[in-house]
Amino acid sequence: MATHAAHAHAHAHTHTVKRYKGLMDWLTTVDHKKIGILYLLAGFIFFLVGGLEAILIRIQLMKPMNDFVAADTFNELLTMHGTTMIFLAAMPMLFALMNAVIPLQIGARDVAFPFLNALGFWTFFFGGLLLNISWFTGTVPDAGWTSYVPLAGPTYNGTHGVDYYVIGLQIAGIGTLLGGINFMATIINMRAPGMSFMRMPMFTWAIFITSVLIVFAFPVLTVGLVAIMFDRLFQANFFEVGGGGNGVLWEHIFWVFGHPEVYILILPAFGVISEVVATFARKRLFGYSSMVFAIVLIAFLGFMVWAHHMFTTGLGPVANALFSIATMLIAVPTGVKIFNWLFTLWGGSIKFTTANLFAVGFIPTFVLGGVTGVMLASAPADYQYHDSYFVVAHFHYVIVGGLILGIFAGLHYWWPKMFGRMLNEGLGKLTFWTFFTGFHLTFFVQHFLGLLGMPRRVWTYLPNQGFETMNLISSIGAFLMGIGTIVFVVNVIIAWAKPRNAAADAWEDGRTLEWSIPSPPPEYNFKQIPLVRGLDAWWKEKMDGKTAMTPAEPLGPIHMPSPSILPLIMSIGLFIAGFGFMYQNHWVAAGGILVTFVCMFLRSVYDDHGFHIDPEEEEVQA
Amino acid sequence: MASNHSVSGEEAKRHKLEGPQKHIVAFVLSLALTIIAFAAVAAGEINTTFTYIILVVMALIQVFVQLAFWMHMKDRGHLFPIICILSGVFVVFAMVIMAVYWVWW
Amino acid sequence: MSAHQHVEGHLPHEPEKATLEGRNKVLGFWIFLGAEVVLFGTLFSAFIALRHQVLDGPHPSHLFELPMVFAATMILLTSSLMSVFAVQAMHRNKMKALIGWLFVTIILGLAFLGLEIYEFNTYVSEGHKMNTSAFSSSFYTLVGFHGAHVAFGVLWISLLIAQLFKKGLTVVTAPKIYLSMIYWHFIDVVWVFIFTVVYLMGKVG
Repeated sequence: MATHAAHAHAHAHTHTVKRYKGLMDWLTTVDHKKIGILYLLAGFIFFLVGGLEAILIRIQLMKPMNDFVAADTFNELLTMHGTTMIFLAAMPMLFALMNAVIPLQIGARDVAFPFLNALGFWTFFFGGLLLNISWFTGTVPDAGWTSYVPLAGPTYNGTHGVDYYVIGLQIAGIGTLLGGINFMATIINMRAPGMSFMRMPMFTWAIFITSVLIVFAFPVLTVGLVAIMFDRLFQANFFEVGGGGNGVLWEHIFWVFGHPEVYILILPAFGVISEVVATFARKRLFGYSSMVFAIVLIAFLGFMVWAHHMFTTGLGPVANALFSIATMLIAVPTGVKIFNWLFTLWGGSIKFTTANLFAVGFIPTFVLGGVTGVMLASAPADYQYHDSYFVVAHFHYVIVGGLILGIFAGLHYWWPKMFGRMLNEGLGKLTFWTFFTGFHLTFFVQHFLGLLGMPRRVWTYLPNQGFETMNLISSIGAFLMGIGTIVFVVNVIIAWAKPRNAAADAWEDGRTLEWSIPSPPPEYNFKQIPLVRGLDAWWKEKMDGKTAMTPAEPLGPIHMPSPSILPLIMSIGLFIAGFGFMYQNHWVAAGGILVTFVCMFLRSVYDDHGFHIDPEEEEVQA
Repeated sequence: MASNHSVSGEEAKRHKLEGPQKHIVAFVLSLALTIIAFAAVAAGEINTTFTYIILVVMALIQVFVQLAFWMHMKDRGHLFPIICILSGVFVVFAMVIMAVYWVWW
Repeated sequence: MSAHQHVEGHLPHEPEKATLEGRNKVLGFWIFLGAEVVLFGTLFSAFIALRHQVLDGPHPSHLFELPMVFAATMILLTSSLMSVFAVQAMHRNKMKALIGWLFVTIILGLAFLGLEIYEFNTYVSEGHKMNTSAFSSSFYTLVGFHGAHVAFGVLWISLLIAQLFKKGLTVVTAPKIYLSMIYWHFIDVVWVFIFTVVYLMGKVG
């Protein structure tokens, strides 16, 4: 029997795998570079949707007693803006960068589980789609992105709105968890020879720790969503006070997930900034090992600070003091990182490219967000700031000023690597200045609105309370951010029309392995897996006068995984089942689950033999 | 069929294939720990706090035995599995404290 | 991947880790189990937080019957030992023994599931339903999640037995067997906490 199977393997070379073109290629791809582009496309579309919702919110708040949107629509916009931006825009765009860059940076041909990678994308996509379909069925989630009970419970939210939130996030969450597992395994197992953990690029370290956070935080959300779903659909009593449930339990569960989630968002941005700053200062990253230590420490502490979102809940002085101190402790490793970036820039011959502008803009902006964070960490003071625009200003400084600036830096930096085309620097700088100015206009004044007492999440406000001018400024800033985003889209479209002519080492000062291979890389990334001889592997070879990496293996046919349509169909199954659960149609739910299980069955039963590419032959053909 | 290719006795020695003895010991140990836990409750005459302590200790020892022997975590090359499980336990530990102290007051 | 170097039909020592794919799967699965620890940990915390909220439903000390729980525990514990033997048979490349042990494992798994379904039925008839109280909701969710894991394990191992008949023991099937066995032990480990925290502590009060 064993002989028989081995015999089948011997034929793997001649195994012809159907290879698709056009749309089918994108629907069936398991190539991390293409999945990265899919994540970017889907994430950016959701970013535009979430941005549009933000603009509508700002139009409503532009003047007192405005009735541009109805009050309940405002609640929906606010909920969907937060949920979309965090789960469907920010995280997928991070996954886009992860997918596009990580295998290249560690000298691998793909991720550990290419099939799961595709599955992760499609479940995210259909989860997001399900959530947004709520706009067309007329019952939109409206209990805030935190979905606090009892507001989100069946008693006060009898329509299907929150069901869309619960089930959409549940499906998207599966994708995120798969991604986390995948990237952890990839970074541990697939590094090129010679790349020890302490030789990994900073972005790889950041993504490694981010993946760890995803793996240990997302299951908490899964259980929370299951509990609230059971409450809503099967009359369970987790959070129903009348049935003995407890609303504070939801707050705990949500934030045990939610706070690590914040670090899931910001750590990759830290990684991007570390790469961009070192590249364009043309210096080695200052304090590499302290950077690694800081990022690990942030992740560790990130699991012990969740209750700082609940200071006013009434946990008592012991809990509040504990979480207060733990939260303030996080400022230490974060400060280490800030100073390391500054010292990296110090004395470097700095090139202010668009990517570097975003990175340099990130540093002071993020410091502002961090400082207000330490202010909020003080429990007694938090009683004053709580639920005011001060909090809104704080977390937008961290998320937009930190993460989104980081993503823009990363996109401008790696665009040539992802697409083989350079973005226009002039338009890029215009994007930066409009977005950056717009951002500070929008959110800086919100600190003071909060201190003056303007509550967050409220539809409108009365005149003559001193809120008018600052709200107007804030709204103007939001438009400016919108313009910045449009300039970026224009830049992308213009770049699209240009020939693919980016150099392999597009910025000429690349330090890490991805710059040692063509832009965009061939399907198999590395013709020969490189041998890594130190930190900043590619820079080291360049400094030794080499023009290519030393290969760690002989030339030969490269084994590739086969494309597969199953991830897409599996996700569609979950999507259908989601509607079945929501509208209590058990046949539809069972049918959807069945589709997913049949796909799992097929995947298990039919071995993927993959196919082989001969790089030499390909070159001859080309 | 497959038994044609089964590892010969000599080869088994070379690779030091472990025998079933250790696993049977682990099984008997798990059995004993389970029985102690059930007996402590069935007896019903010990005070509640003390019973809780017995139960938790028995459970922890049993889980340790099973993880180490049956899930091979004592074997070489299991550094990352140990880190994964311990990280999970760390998060759960925080959550159990939350559940006991910070939900009702 | 590629089993090319093993064309002779001889399986390497520890076939589950012979290929990079196999090693990736083993590592990835352990990471997944780390996530499962948190998943069950959250369910446990919710249960611990809500377990005294019995309301008008039957109290756990009357509801739970120790003999039945003890029987379920023994069944699962034994099945865990059987799956250890399965992995040992796999390492010795003994197909028939491997299939035999796997078969016993799923039979015991089915027995456990049968007992659990019977148990839930009894509880419902005694007025302990999903919507009775916060205690009952968190009980059914926690124990039900575990039961669902057992059911999935039974289906998975059955499918693997079928694959063993069709494909034999290779460097492709070996990692699958190994992982399903690790999964099965993990289910047993979770059960140790369930009988301790849910049943025994519930009985004590």
